[in-house]
Amino acid sequence: MYAIVVATNIGIFVLLALSLNIIAGYAGQSSIGHAAFFGIGAYTSAVLTSTLGVNFWLSLPIAFVVTGLIGALLGLASMRVKEDFLAITTIGINFVVVAIFQYAPIFGASLGMSVSKPSLFGVKMDNLMFLILVGALIAAMVIFMRIIEKSWFGLALASIRNDEAAASSLGVNIVKFKVLAFAVGTAVAGLAGGVYAHYMTFIYSSDFAFLVSISILSMVVIGGIGTIRGPIVGAIILGIAPELFRFISDYRMIVYGGLLVLMMLFQPQGIVGNGSFLVNKFEALFGKGRKKSVVS
Amino acid sequence: MKKGLKVWLLVSLVIILGISMFGCSQPAETPAAEEPSSEPAAPAESSEPIRIGFFAPVTGAAASDGKSATQSAELAVKLINDGGGINGRPVELVKYDDGLDTKQAVNIAQKLTTKDNVVAVVSGSYSGPTRVAAPIFQEAGMPMLSAYAIHPDVTGSGDFVFSQSFSGSVQGRAGGVVAVDMLGAKRISILAVDIDFGKTLSEAFTAYAEANGAEIVSMDTFGMPETEFSPVLTKIKETVKPDLLYIACYPSHGTEIARQSKRLGLDVQILGTEGIDSYQFLEVAKEDAEGVIITTNMNRDSESDAVKNYIAGYKAAYNMQPDMVGASTYDAFETLFKVIAEVGTDPVAMRDAIKGLKDFETVTGRLIEYAPSRVAVKPVQIQIVKDGEFHYYNEITDDAIIRD
Amino acid sequence: MLLQQIINGFMIGCVYALTAMGGTLIYGILRILDIANAAAYVVGAYLGWVIYATTGNLAVAFFLSMALTGAIGVLIQKFIYTPILNKPNIIPIVPLITSVGIFIFTGDFIRLLVGPEIKDFGVILPFSVIKLGRIVINPEWILIIIMTAILLSLLWFVLNKTKLGLAWRATAGDSEIAETMGVNIQKVMALSYIMGYGFASAAGMMIGVLYSSIYPTMGDIPSYKMLAIIVLGGLGNPIGTIAAGLVIGLSETLISAYVGSVIPRDAIAFLVLITILLVKPTGLISRKNSI
Repeated sequence: MYAIVVATNIGIFVLLALSLNIIAGYAGQSSIGHAAFFGIGAYTSAVLTSTLGVNFWLSLPIAFVVTGLIGALLGLASMRVKEDFLAITTIGINFVVVAIFQYAPIFGASLGMSVSKPSLFGVKMDNLMFLILVGALIAAMVIFMRIIEKSWFGLALASIRNDEAAASSLGVNIVKFKVLAFAVGTAVAGLAGGVYAHYMTFIYSSDFAFLVSISILSMVVIGGIGTIRGPIVGAIILGIAPELFRFISDYRMIVYGGLLVLMMLFQPQGIVGNGSFLVNKFEALFGKGRKKSVVS
Repeated sequence: MKKGLKVWLLVSLVIILGISMFGCSQPAETPAAEEPSSEPAAPAESSEPIRIGFFAPVTGAAASDGKSATQSAELAVKLINDGGGINGRPVELVKYDDGLDTKQAVNIAQKLTTKDNVVAVVSGSYSGPTRVAAPIFQEAGMPMLSAYAIHPDVTGSGDFVFSQSFSGSVQGRAGGVVAVDMLGAKRISILAVDIDFGKTLSEAFTAYAEANGAEIVSMDTFGMPETEFSPVLTKIKETVKPDLLYIACYPSHGTEIARQSKRLGLDVQILGTEGIDSYQFLEVAKEDAEGVIITTNMNRDSESDAVKNYIAGYKAAYNMQPDMVGASTYDAFETLFKVIAEVGTDPVAMRDAIKGLKDFETVTGRLIEYAPSRVAVKPVQIQIVKDGEFHYYNEITDDAIIRD
Repeated sequence: MLLQQIINGFMIGCVYALTAMGGTLIYGILRILDIANAAAYVVGAYLGWVIYATTGNLAVAFFLSMALTGAIGVLIQKFIYTPILNKPNIIPIVPLITSVGIFIFTGDFIRLLVGPEIKDFGVILPFSVIKLGRIVINPEWILIIIMTAILLSLLWFVLNKTKLGLAWRATAGDSEIAETMGVNIQKVMALSYIMGYGFASAAGMMIGVLYSSIYPTMGDIPSYKMLAIIVLGGLGNPIGTIAAGLVIGLSETLISAYVGSVIPRDAIAFLVLITILLVKPTGLISRKNSI
């Protein structure tokens, strides 16, 4: 049971890391406020099921769409600012969104929201069912990202990331693709939020604070930004670390902080990112298959 | 590309399985941990330690409360073991740090109920982590005592979940009694921290004060990390002019409100809550704290042995002053020890014994009983700061006030 | 009441400006958002507290704490940031996460060393509350005004009247041109960190004196609010930072005094930031205009 619960928690963050990777990795947009969209999805679905009596399975796609729309809108508004200005604007969005959760009575304000566990075919969902749901969503997300990588959308994003001016001169509609990346990335975060709210059965504004955004971003970077395997590995490592390090209870945070610094110092590409030690070794052992597929 | 897809699916599946395997393959100290032990452990049959679970925010924004709670938990366990344990069996503390994070609290609760083979649990944490952990203990049929988290939904999780402190609405109402009936305030300003603690207390306070002829002339809230109060205190001083200031907040806020209002020349009686029942408030606010009155659960001037032993024991062990958080945690353990000594470690028997407790002397006052909502019914202590220490000012025992 | 509130806001703004100045000086050269500046703020406050408790001299405490924290800053720059920034293809998120790591590490290191509780800074100032009619001026505020004036003059002097300062400004304007002109970038970076962490340390101490309390998580708010001010000030522009600090301090004060607590103060800072950025995407004073 313990393992299932830990795995589900990690799985939700795998989804979040993968979704942020679309914005920060594929589109190259520094977004440091991803938890805001995680929260928008969580509160949207919580209000739908707990206040309006909507079925959980219907609330998830609604949370997906609503968060994606808000994400696209905020993404569009943020197009005016670039690079570090964008990074701080997204932090700002995070703070404002959390403030709304904290103050609006519909979101339970400072008491948070209690959410009841959903049912599937009349059976109350247990932890294993949540793990299966999260696993299925991760699998779908991985397939989806594989498709993106090979699609016109993915190629356009790659060209924007490499050289925005050149992409623009080649006729790539930069605003459209960036906003699309924001929409898709935030929508998936919203979906993860919907699952999270019903899995935890209680949500509170600070569950979606700036610190959470930072930890999602750390997962993406520690694993390897711009790849699919990277965010998965990063989320697993950072998710399991607090549990693994329980035996050094009092020193957990200091070890965590130190590891972040050491990782960035020695493996800034991420543990399994392109060009990292592990991937280079792997390629040296098993041939250059990956390099070929990147070219093709 | 079909092949690549399959590989990826496989990889994600392997990862998920891997995580589950990892968790399962952890050294299972007790194979029978999966089902809550339903057979009553006869005290005489073994000297196996009685394991009690505990979690508190040792790291993160609430670390000083986490420290107080953990030290008091350790003191309670040490003292009972020094005295020979419970019916000859030693007590073992299984403690965790939740970092004030609900996600970690869920993991911890799950670990406590399925892997750690504990008989009962004390939450030394805030409302968020306690609230998400409570349903897990309820589902596992394991008694949980919340030391000081007062979110109204905590004990709503079910009949295995108890609160060792009186509810926020009892304390808010008691504050109203102090303000209106004891101090005769007519115009009251409220400053409350914007979390469940400040909200529940200020709402109950307002309801009582308004029903009894006082007027709430201003109500302001602020976030947890706030330390700058001159803007709002200036407003209160210049335009509101109350005769009492009710503050439902924590030491870091209380000290600044006391200091800054003195400096701004806002000369008004301050009425606080158990939130500032801490040596930290006294040490930093110093002479600005003089005359501040609080509602709390521990009477520093009490003649009872429980209180004297705790305060002396805590000072001796840690060379620092105990506070409300620590005292409440200590009491939660004392309650469990008493119940285990009487009925053993069968969860249902323990639950019923806690429910049936009557007139139990604890550090935080006489536990009259547990209300049907499983929240402790206790007298509310009114303390005043005199010469840099909390002292007895009054006590509220009126049933209409201390029962929800 | 309005005048008093403007004074309140001005004081808060001064503290914000000083807090953010460290980050600005570092951003001006290294182009990284250094959240670890908030770690220097905490370290500075604790060092100042220890030094004040042993020497009893506030000026010595300020000076020593700034020097020590500045020295730590140079070490961090030499052994952590420079190696990272010298690697090929580093995305800007990497130094940001590094600084988060340093921040978490430092905060928890202090908690383990000194304990999580609030410590009393315990400064006794030689002046008491000044009352001008209905206007009240706190003794700590006078100290803040004096320190702000000293530190900003010092900064102005270093940047405008010394060779190294000239090099700093040239590098902040265009690092490549500066390097071809023979500027020693390593020295300039070191200067950035000495000044940046020194300022953060002074700000932390000042907050410690102002609220008479220090605790390991005291850097949490500055860690992000500092970013809002740095960005609002035009990223890397010291004058813009002062203006932005005052704008945020005043708007927070006036909104919480006249509109009431509809939104928390932290959100006000970012609302102001987002509003201004939407109108002027490069901040109040953009970096290229003047330094």
